[in-house]
Amino acid sequence: MPMKQRAITGWINFAVFLILEIASLHMLAHNGEIQKRWLARGSHWVMGTVWGATQRIQAYFSLSTTNQQLSQENFALREQLFQAQEQLQQLRVDSLQLVPRPGFSLIAAEVTKMSRNKQHNYLILNRGYEDGVQEKSGIISQNGVVGIVDAVSAHYAYAFSFQNSDVSISARLGTEGESGLLVWDGIHSNGAVLKEIPLQQQYHPGDTVFTSGHSLLFPPDIPLGIAGNSKIVNGATSEIEVRLFQDLSAVRYVTVVHNNAFDEIEEFEP
Amino acid sequence: MRKSGFWVAYSLLLVAQILLSNYFTFTPYITLSILPVMVLCISTRIQPYMCMLIAFFSGIIVDWLSEGVLGLNAFSLVPVALLRNPVIHLVYGEGLFTRKEDFTVKSHGFAKVVMAILMMQTLFLALYIWADGAGLRPFWFGLARFFASLPVGLAVSLMTLNVLAADQHR
Repeated sequence: MPMKQRAITGWINFAVFLILEIASLHMLAHNGEIQKRWLARGSHWVMGTVWGATQRIQAYFSLSTTNQQLSQENFALREQLFQAQEQLQQLRVDSLQLVPRPGFSLIAAEVTKMSRNKQHNYLILNRGYEDGVQEKSGIISQNGVVGIVDAVSAHYAYAFSFQNSDVSISARLGTEGESGLLVWDGIHSNGAVLKEIPLQQQYHPGDTVFTSGHSLLFPPDIPLGIAGNSKIVNGATSEIEVRLFQDLSAVRYVTVVHNNAFDEIEEFEP
Repeated sequence: MRKSGFWVAYSLLLVAQILLSNYFTFTPYITLSILPVMVLCISTRIQPYMCMLIAFFSGIIVDWLSEGVLGLNAFSLVPVALLRNPVIHLVYGEGLFTRKEDFTVKSHGFAKVVMAILMMQTLFLALYIWADGAGLRPFWFGLARFFASLPVGLAVSLMTLNVLAADQHR
């Protein structure tokens, strides 16, 4: 039998098979109650699987829009949190009859360019001075600290990434612990080292590391990562490994935070 | 066997299957069916789609005239008819089709016949027990039913083969 004729016969056989099986199943469904339920269950499963799969594919292709929406929502929530913190601070100030202090301003931004494979990595953000971004501002994400703004143009900002051996952040072990300097470990995109922790400081691997608030760049109490093993350096201080919450190779949506009292405080510095 | 003789025997065996379905109800563990071997014995000169139609209507008749659920035998027998040629091809090779011979015991040997019937019975019983249980019966029950039905079905199928391929023994 020629190949073409064989193929046609094959298709006819398959079509007849399908028609007869569908007819049999139709009869089964209408003549046996348990078979009817069984087939309904089967059809629900197929529908669920097929529709679930198409839904997942649709969701995959709309991820970019969803990410942007989430980022905006995230920024709005962070702004509310900061306002609430400022109000709380204000209440404290009022109760102590102190003069209120300016807090942090926030600007949402997106990472336009980022280097990852160097020891002095940088970021370029899609916001500049026309958007209100200023030099010496911190950059945070929902999972921690990302970098520090170094230079600003009209529409873009150049920043040192936390994956930069020149960048260090003041950080603290737990909410009440000693503070030290948090620097990138130079290897991992989510690895850091907390340095200069006094030996008497009690800590347990698994403790959370927060921003201390001692730096002018970042607000206090931003969770940064989890403390790991430690080692004693020069017999005087401890160095603690930290696994950052933010994988710096995967960051895209960030918030620029600027301390409104930065210039005033800087005047005291020699 | 002449063509007309085969179809008379086929019809009579269909009646026998209806009787078996109605009266062989001693245990829920055994499903006795000679339909797969009847489909196996249909001439290889008949096209698969025609063979499936014959299987479908045979199944419907048995379902309709016995106390089963309409569509159950038809559902299980149509795939047997679809895979009949591949099974014969697998067991007997290409020769049977090129020489346009029919499926026989004498010319091809007992072991091959048993193997072909076992394949057909296995497929039929698996589908029949699965659809009949409709997910309500435990798996072990279906398995026990399958392994109890297979040897009994094989024995009855071999007897059926003697009727449908009777001229080969003379």
